[in-house]
Parts: sequence; C-alpha cells; structure tokens
Amino acid sequence: MELKGYTDIYLQKNTSAAVLAVFRIALGLLLFISILRFWSNGWIADLYITPQYFFPFYGFEFVKPLGAYTYVLFGLCALSALMVALGWYYRVAMVSLFLSFTYIELIDKSTYLNHYYFISLICLLMVFLPAQVYFSVDAYRNKSIHCDLIPQWCVDVIKLMVAILYVYAGIAKINSEWLLHALPLKIWLPARNDMPVIGFLFNKSWVHYAFSWIGCIYDLSIPFLLLSRKTRVLGYVAVVVFHVLTSLLFPIGMFPYIMIVTALIFFPASFHEKILSVLQKTLRLPKLIGAGVKTLVYSATSLQYFKYGFIVFFALQLLMPFRYLLYPGDLFWTEEGFRFSWRVMLMEKAGYAQFTVKDSSGKKAFVNNTLFLTKLQEKMMATQPDMILQYAHILRDHYASRGFQNPEVYVDAYVALNGHMGRTMIDPTVNLAKEKESFNHKSWIVLYND
Amino acid sequence: MVFYTRYMMHHKSLQTYLVILCTSLLWACTGSKHEPITADNGYDRAAMLTNIADEIILPSYARFKGKLDLMVSQSDSFATKPSAESLVKLRQTWVDAYVEWQKVELFDVGPAEIYTLHSYLNIYPTSTTAIETNISTGTYNFGLPTSYPEQGFPALDYLINGLGATDDEILAKYTTAADAAKRISYLKAVVTQLNTRFIKIYTEWTTNNYRATFISKTNMDIYSSTSLLVNGYVLNYERYIRSGKFGIPSGAMLTDGTTAPEKVEAYYKKDLSLTLAKTAHQASLDLYNGTSALTGTQGPSLRKYLLALDAKDTKTGVSLVAEIDSQFVKVADRLNVLKPNLAEEVSTNNQAMINTFDEMQKLVRLLKVDMTSALSVTITYTDNDGD
Repeated sequence: MELKGYTDIYLQKNTSAAVLAVFRIALGLLLFISILRFWSNGWIADLYITPQYFFPFYGFEFVKPLGAYTYVLFGLCALSALMVALGWYYRVAMVSLFLSFTYIELIDKSTYLNHYYFISLICLLMVFLPAQVYFSVDAYRNKSIHCDLIPQWCVDVIKLMVAILYVYAGIAKINSEWLLHALPLKIWLPARNDMPVIGFLFNKSWVHYAFSWIGCIYDLSIPFLLLSRKTRVLGYVAVVVFHVLTSLLFPIGMFPYIMIVTALIFFPASFHEKILSVLQKTLRLPKLIGAGVKTLVYSATSLQYFKYGFIVFFALQLLMPFRYLLYPGDLFWTEEGFRFSWRVMLMEKAGYAQFTVKDSSGKKAFVNNTLFLTKLQEKMMATQPDMILQYAHILRDHYASRGFQNPEVYVDAYVALNGHMGRTMIDPTVNLAKEKESFNHKSWIVLYND
Repeated sequence: MVFYTRYMMHHKSLQTYLVILCTSLLWACTGSKHEPITADNGYDRAAMLTNIADEIILPSYARFKGKLDLMVSQSDSFATKPSAESLVKLRQTWVDAYVEWQKVELFDVGPAEIYTLHSYLNIYPTSTTAIETNISTGTYNFGLPTSYPEQGFPALDYLINGLGATDDEILAKYTTAADAAKRISYLKAVVTQLNTRFIKIYTEWTTNNYRATFISKTNMDIYSSTSLLVNGYVLNYERYIRSGKFGIPSGAMLTDGTTAPEKVEAYYKKDLSLTLAKTAHQASLDLYNGTSALTGTQGPSLRKYLLALDAKDTKTGVSLVAEIDSQFVKVADRLNVLKPNLAEEVSTNNQAMINTFDEMQKLVRLLKVDMTSALSVTITYTDNDGD
C-alpha cells in the first residue's frame, strides 16, 4: 500500500495559515469591488430587473428573479464578501457569499461567464477551508481558534482548481480553428487596431497566429510554471502581462484581476506572511500574527470526509469538460456540453432567430423578439439551441394566454460561426412548443457537417 | 492522487514547453511572409468614418436640406394662394424631397438616432382619420409617439395626393371647403414640423460638429461610430426597406399571406413607391461601397474593410464580400422587374413582391449576421468571455 502511505504523509504536511488568510482577504475584497462595479454600472437593473423573461438553467428552474429585492440580494452578497475579507463570522459569511453569488448567476443563462462559475466553485471550496484561523476578526475575538499552521492540502485544493481552469482552457484551444486558422482572434484583434502604439500589429496575420499559439501554450503551462520554485517569478510575470493585455483588448471585466490575484496563492508562505505583517503595520492592527507554533489538526474522521468530498468534487471537475464527447456534432455549433468547461474566448458566433407562432384555428404571428427579450438575451438566445427552446416555450405560453389554441412555435435560425458563412441551425419544420429540455441530444439541431 | 499536481513539474517538461514556445513563435513569424501588403489600407476605420461623414452623410444631408427648403417655400406659396399650379409645384418638390430622404434615412446614427428622425418623417401607413380629426379640432401634439402616423412625408402624401380623384377635387379642399383654412394650417404645421425635426439633426452634424465626434470614435465598443452606424444601417435595411416597403404590404411576413396594398409607401401618389424603394436600396449599396455622393467614386468603406479583414469562410473559401456584392445585385434584379406602383403589384402580381422580399431577407442575414460578426461589431455592453 505504498500510495496509501504517500497519501497519509501528504495529508499530514503543514503550511503557514497566512497563505489562506491572504487568499481570503483578496477574494473577499475583489468580490466586494466586483459587486460595487456591477451595481454602479446599473447592471443589476439592466440584467435582473428590466427583463420580462429569464433563462434559468436546466434543473435550477426554481431560481427566480427577485424583482426590486435583487438589490437586497446583491447587498447581502457584498456584505458577505466584506465579512469574508475581515474573517468576521467567516463560516456564515462564506456560506452566504457562495449562496448569494451562485443564486445571482443562476437567474439568467444570458449572463453566464466562466469566471463567475470559477468564483462559485472557489467559494464552495472556501466554505470548507480554515481560512479564518489566522489574521481574522474571528481568531482575534476567539483566541482558541487561532492557528499558525494549517494542513498543506487546504492550500493545494485552491491551486488544483486554478490549475484545472488554466489547463482545460488550454486544452479547449487545441483545435484546428484556433491553431490553424487563428480564429476567432483573426476576427477580434483587428477591431482593436486603433489602440495606441501597438494597434497596427493587430492587422497582421502573424500576430493573430502568435496570439493564438502563445495563448494556448500559456494556458497549458502556467500552472506548472507557478508550481515550480525556479520558474515561479517568470510564471507570475506571464500571468500579469497576459491578463493585463487581455483586459485591454477584450471586454472581460474583472476576470483578469481575479486571476492575477488568485495566482499569488502559488507563492511560498514567507511571501504571504510578509504581506500580512506589512498590512498589520500600515493599518496599525492589533496583534493578529502568532508565534508560529500552533497547528490546526483535523480528526481522522473529518479527514476522511474531506478526502472523499474532494475526490468527488475534483473528479466532477475533471470529467465535466469532456461531457461534450457524449453528444454528436460540432461542440461549438450545438453547444451541448459547452458551459462549465473553461471554454473562454473560443468562438465568434452571431445569429438571427425569426420565430413564427401558429395554431390550429389559423392564427399566426411573426414574432418581434425585442418585445420579449433584452438585446443581450436576444443575442445569446439566437446562437444557443437550449435558449432557443426556452424562448420557444416562453412564446408558446404567451400566445396561449392570448387565445392561441395549442400554439405551435417554429424558428428560422441563421447562425454564423467563426467567420464561416451563416447557415440554418434549427430544423424549421420542428414544432418547438412540443420539444422538451433534457440532457439528451437535441435532434432538431441541424448538425454542422450535414 | 489528485493532490500530487505540485510534484508533476519536471525540468524536462519545462524545456519542452520552452521549445514549443520558441518554435511556435518562429513558425508564426515566418507566416507573415505570405501576407500581401497593400498600399490601400482598408483597415483604417478613421479613414472609413471620415469618408462616410464627408463624402456621404454630410453631402447627402446638405442635398436633402436643399430639396426640403424648396418644399417648404413651395408649401408657403401654396398656403398663401392654393391653385392648380402651386399644387403641382408643391407635389413635385414633395416628390423630390421624399426621394432624397431615402438617401439619408439609413444614417440612423448619432443625432438622427437620438432624436428618432425616422419616426417623425416616415411612419406609414399614415392615419387619415387622425389627420382629419386634427384638422377639425385644431389641437394636436406632434411630439407624442402616437402622432407619428399623423405627420411626415406620408401625411403630406395624403394631404396633397389623397384628398380626391382629381387635382380639382383636392384643390377644392383647400379653397371652397368649409374647413379649408384649417386644412391649410395643418399642411403648414406638418411641413414646419418635418423641417424643424431635420434641421435639429443637420445642426448637430454641422454647427455643433457631430462630425468630429463621429470620426474620433474609432474603436469598436457599443458607443463607437462603426457600431452605431452598422447597427442603424442594418436596422434600416431590415425594418424600413425589407419589412416596411415589401414584407408588410405583400403579406410575406405573415404566414397566412394576408396582403395589404394600402400599406405601401407613398400610397396616395401611386407611381412613386418603386422609385422610393429603389433609391433606398441604392443608398444602402452606396454606403456599403463608400461611394461619394459628390463624385461617385468609391473611398474607404465597410466593403473595403471586409476585404482588408479577408473575411471569408475558411472551409469553403467563399468570400463574404463576393456574397454580399452578388446579393445586392439579386435584389436590384428583383426591383427592376416591378412596376412603379407597388400597391398595384401587391394586388395583381404579389409573387414578384414576395420574391423581392425573399432576396432582401437573404441580404439582411448577410449584413446582420455575417457582416457584423466579421467586423466584430459590439451589440451589448456587459462583460463577455466570448461564449
């Protein structure tokens, strides 16, 4: 049982509690800022209050928009984030942050972003990690929970999650469109050619290829560069340069900053201890840093729970992105198994969906999408089959209430993917009112290679 | 075992990555040799916007203003002394201005978009009952959205072409009828409102120098000139040319195909609707091609930009520009077989109307989906990670 021996030895390795404390503070503050930014941009109203209809995730239809109370939800989320940063009622705050943040993200598919999913997962992990035992209000008020050392695995699970994100994002880029045709960067980069100094480069074909290849290699290698002591600084410089560049080029919001800060977790304990001691001095905080002897020890039973819990969690993380293999057709076209897989900035997709509703008595309507959906919702719906189906059901119910007998819903969906000429995505003869959502393949998608 | 990732890094794998990184850079750099370098830099959006502003939008607005001025002064003459002669003259200036309007209606960007110029000038079918009520009561508010169908070119169409079968009958409404004075004053109010609405936009572009703003916003975000111009341009072609002029009257947009000949543009003038449609289609082509309204030569344009981007289907090698070019021709071919009075076409030869609609629909898809996607035009303002 050599492996078991290694596991036991590993599970007993310790590291400074400062690593997780710094991560806790950074995560809390970044999320707090993210929510303020979201709020001040007016996006709470635009995305969660103004729309008449919403697109919940399959299996999460119970998640409903809260109307004006959405502000309360965001307020709770912001407050929780701040409490997490302070380490004040940490466990409660972390659970509340995870639930409120995830609830918001589940309201409408149109707003789905991979980094929101990443934050939800990190928050879930943090619920179970001892991030409050050091440099926190909790540990200050209750000295008995204070610990200087925590098990090494408590930090490594975060690193593993970060590594999965990068490596899977890299694997997703290993496809002929990305590597052999430099798509979609070939489409996106020229749109930034008016940037000062470097803008002219974005018109050049070799730059599109260089960005594509470097992006792919970057994603695949960054976790390993950060893990190794010798390459860590180089790796971190790469993280900063890459993410700053992407934030200048693309409208990806807080994501670059979140990744830049998250990558700090790969630095050694001494680095984090230094941050905390600087923080303590500048803010003139009371003594929060211990003598460095007390170790957090979990009971054998808790360790077993943690072990199997994490095995299940990470097995899911490793398998989920490959679920697309269970579906026929081109993944980018059908998007069956596309989300929750770290497929970021992978395709340029645009669509135009014209719906027709009719009933047995001869009533017919040519649907004007702008009367039902916001611009963002319409844009997202027009290219994603599962959202087209949800919208068809919204239309079915709407027209049924307007006196249509068993309304039938048909769509003429024209979609262009990565600069290829647009074509029909949905079988125009299929009555979508009767089709049901499921994890099965949607037979009414016209496959790309037909 | 998942906890062991941190030990997976070995020097060998690091070396491998560095080798791959370097070779890929080299490979990528050598790829640049194949790129044709053209003197004509179609990539320059500032040049494109300058050409569109100085050679198309501003001269077209100026020309429209000239036609509008004539219509305003002719309507004054008619109001002062309604006669067969002044009616014919007013009608001709109305025709000229309405045709010229088709060349500026598509600039649904900047002031024209903000002040919804289209809604005030060209909502049809016009509401004849509301107009008659306005005339008899003398109270109306042209600022209200509900009043859009009671003003603009379509209202004038009714007032100078639709009040009788002959010019004598029409003239009688302005001379011998009991409410003649009220009608004259309503006619003047419609003309004044139309002119005021346009002058507001024209002043923004000229005196208040919206031109400078237009040219300076060269990026591609939601508020950029290229995004606003393209979104407005596509919307105009889809909603006001395809649907308004063909889809709605022909019933092509209704699956039961109910026709509505009375919903054609310039319904009362009868022989003008095709000219208006052809003019609007040509104006869309000219904007796409960057054709100067002054000299007729082609400058930096959306088309040249697409060519510079080398927008094509990597699988089939089909060029997007070639597809769009040929679709513009197909629409023009359909328009060329139509008779001048589209209401008559709807009643007697509707299939030709539907055929036109179908080809326009294909053009809308190319412009709205393929072109905007190739240009990377932004539609929404929220964060996006490209999926």
